[in-house]
Amino acid sequence: MSEQNEVLAKIKFLVGDRGIIAECGRIPVLPAFSVEAVAFLSDLSRELLSIKGIRSHRDVLSYAYWIRKASIERERQKTTDIDTRVGRGVAFHIAPSNVPVNFAVSMTSSLLAGNITVIRVSNKEFEEVDIICNAINKLLEKPEHEVIKKYICIIRYDHSDQVTEYLSSVCDLRIIWGGDATIKEIRRFPIPSRAVEMCFADRYSMAVIDAKKYLRKSKEIAEETARKFYTDTYYSDQNACSSPRILIWVTGDIAAEDLDVCRETFWGALQKEADERYDMKPVQAIDKLSNFTELAMKSDKPVTINKRNNKLFVIDINEADSDIFNYKTGGGFFFQYAVKNLDEIIPFLEKQCQTVAVFGIEKSEVVGLVRQSGVRGVDRVVDIGDTMGLEFVWDGYRMVENMSRVIYVYDKSK
Amino acid sequence: MIENFYEHEPYDMDMASKDKLITEELLELTRFHREHCTEYRRFLDASGFDENKVETASDIPFFPVRLFKNIDLLSIPRENVFKTMTSSGTTGQRVSKIFVDRETAMIQQKVMLRILSDHWGKKRLPMLVIDSAETVRNRQMFTARGAAIMGLQIAARDIVYALNEDMTLNVRAVNDFLQKYSGRRFIMFGFTFIVWQHFYKAFEPAGTIKCTSDNEETVLNIKDYDLSDAFLMTGGGWKRLVSESISQDDFKTRMRDVFGIGHFIDHYAMVEQTGCIYAECEYGHLHASNYSDVFIRDPLDFSLKAPGEKGIIQTVSVLPHSYPGHSLLTEDEGMILGADDCPCGRKGKYIRIIGRLKSAELRGCSDTYADKMKL
Repeated sequence: MSEQNEVLAKIKFLVGDRGIIAECGRIPVLPAFSVEAVAFLSDLSRELLSIKGIRSHRDVLSYAYWIRKASIERERQKTTDIDTRVGRGVAFHIAPSNVPVNFAVSMTSSLLAGNITVIRVSNKEFEEVDIICNAINKLLEKPEHEVIKKYICIIRYDHSDQVTEYLSSVCDLRIIWGGDATIKEIRRFPIPSRAVEMCFADRYSMAVIDAKKYLRKSKEIAEETARKFYTDTYYSDQNACSSPRILIWVTGDIAAEDLDVCRETFWGALQKEADERYDMKPVQAIDKLSNFTELAMKSDKPVTINKRNNKLFVIDINEADSDIFNYKTGGGFFFQYAVKNLDEIIPFLEKQCQTVAVFGIEKSEVVGLVRQSGVRGVDRVVDIGDTMGLEFVWDGYRMVENMSRVIYVYDKSK
Repeated sequence: MIENFYEHEPYDMDMASKDKLITEELLELTRFHREHCTEYRRFLDASGFDENKVETASDIPFFPVRLFKNIDLLSIPRENVFKTMTSSGTTGQRVSKIFVDRETAMIQQKVMLRILSDHWGKKRLPMLVIDSAETVRNRQMFTARGAAIMGLQIAARDIVYALNEDMTLNVRAVNDFLQKYSGRRFIMFGFTFIVWQHFYKAFEPAGTIKCTSDNEETVLNIKDYDLSDAFLMTGGGWKRLVSESISQDDFKTRMRDVFGIGHFIDHYAMVEQTGCIYAECEYGHLHASNYSDVFIRDPLDFSLKAPGEKGIIQTVSVLPHSYPGHSLLTEDEGMILGADDCPCGRKGKYIRIIGRLKSAELRGCSDTYADKMKL
């Protein structure tokens, strides 16, 4: 008991309290999409949307929209075995340090699954974290949310193996967001034998454009696509796993000059957008130059750099090679490559490849390519502009389903 | 040829004649490293470098100093490496590795001596290092401080370390040193924060310090000694002192009041361009010598900033022969204050260092930040 108290003393609660963690193993799980969880989330959506000036926090805004009642209801209908699905127990989430609203995204699926949800957020202060936690606390004081109160703890703690070890030892489900190093670090602490784990590791993403179709579009649409690409990348400092880091042109039989027109239109529009909207820190210019220089120095394959200024680096590569993704930096650093046919992108679809964002290409074609070739990568295919969307399916997991369990009922008559 | 520079005093060339000489030399080095360092050649190729377009020293391509942490860059066969200089900017980061052959080591030493002698005379001077001998000795944790001390050793004689291993004052050693050199010209060298924290504060406020060892009491009263011809040479920047609300001027005033130190030389240097230090003149300006130059770059597009405008510091040096470090982009911010017109009479540019650029707090789920995330 004293060890437990020692651990609890190290935890700072943004939401919830020590009592919940102390008794978490005895709190009953809820059924999936419980009335309580759904009601709480849709109230949270309303609460967040009612905050003055919330529009300036676009990520909180999209989170609030994502947990609207209608959106949750849609997901409920997509979920299998809904009548026999229940929570697994205690879900211990380790949220990433640099995507402020991610903790809430992780919490949402976990609550809908029926779990007692304990989330460790980064010690880095984010206004978005405070906004969401304040809204949660406000709702939890209301009598109609009395029940759900026991199911949410949002915590911070300073470097402490002891706390991580303790929470890992009592959980039924551990969810780790963060890089490979973080996952390795946390995996030093065992979870109970029946517990399951979901890890969201380092990934890379790409964009693929059919050059012929792009060329045929009006200038407005072509430029609009580049602007959407801005949202995919610069909006998160191009540092989200889902932000494309390479743009591949599928050229088919178009002439070289036509491809040049495509490139000029696309990068020109993106440059304009970045010039107007992106606030680049001086050190990012050095980061990008370092990254380019290191690649150039180490690679025996020729690469060339194209840039008008430091907000947008475009590095042309001449050979398909997924090693380039080891040269990683955010804030507007892109590789560019051209292939004749779509199937030539296969070398890039390695295990680490998460999102393929397309323009002028059927998404089913990309899926077909993955299935046919048997590559380990690609968990998501979206249109350019949609990579940052919040979804209940992530990294190949249907989140609510994977965070819950199903009671199988054998019925002889069926 | 570096010999062309030896015909000059270190600060005697105005910008026009200096740029001509240094551009030629840098271009020569660019060609040499292109031929002898594969990685450097690839970098030039990828950057689309065309030597015919080089008109002035700022046209020579540059890359960030950070590269020395990630890649072994050398333009000599490995068996010719005479010493490898390392530096870890901050603890926990990867170290820079600089490969130096005998020729480059000799040039570094020679140039360093020439630059320093312009400030305190041609004779090698006794030096009281305000640090612990451990800082230099412990190769495992060889720091920028260790590298700076090592670099200066070649310009000094009778070197005494003022601090013990635990960074307390070695009263007897300091006392012995001062007894010997009081009233004479000597060097005191240390990083600003170390000098402040472990030297100045040890004497404050009375100017007296006592210690007992082997049943013998040593009382050191600083007022007993004459430090009016001593040169306090500092390095390592001012950030930590500024955070304690001590400005560079406060520092000098207090050092003058308590110790009676007569001369101050702050300096800016980096292990990647050892030898070419930017030393402070009697008017408080850091000067580029004939052997090096400074350009201030706009973070937006790396274009050149005008004097008085701040930006990222690029430094060029004609000393690096064994590794391609003749044109580097630092991670420091600074500005050019003027050129050829400092009242001290030294020609060339004089600069101000603002400090290390802030690291970016980017969003995203990148592992780059995993080390920042305390678990």
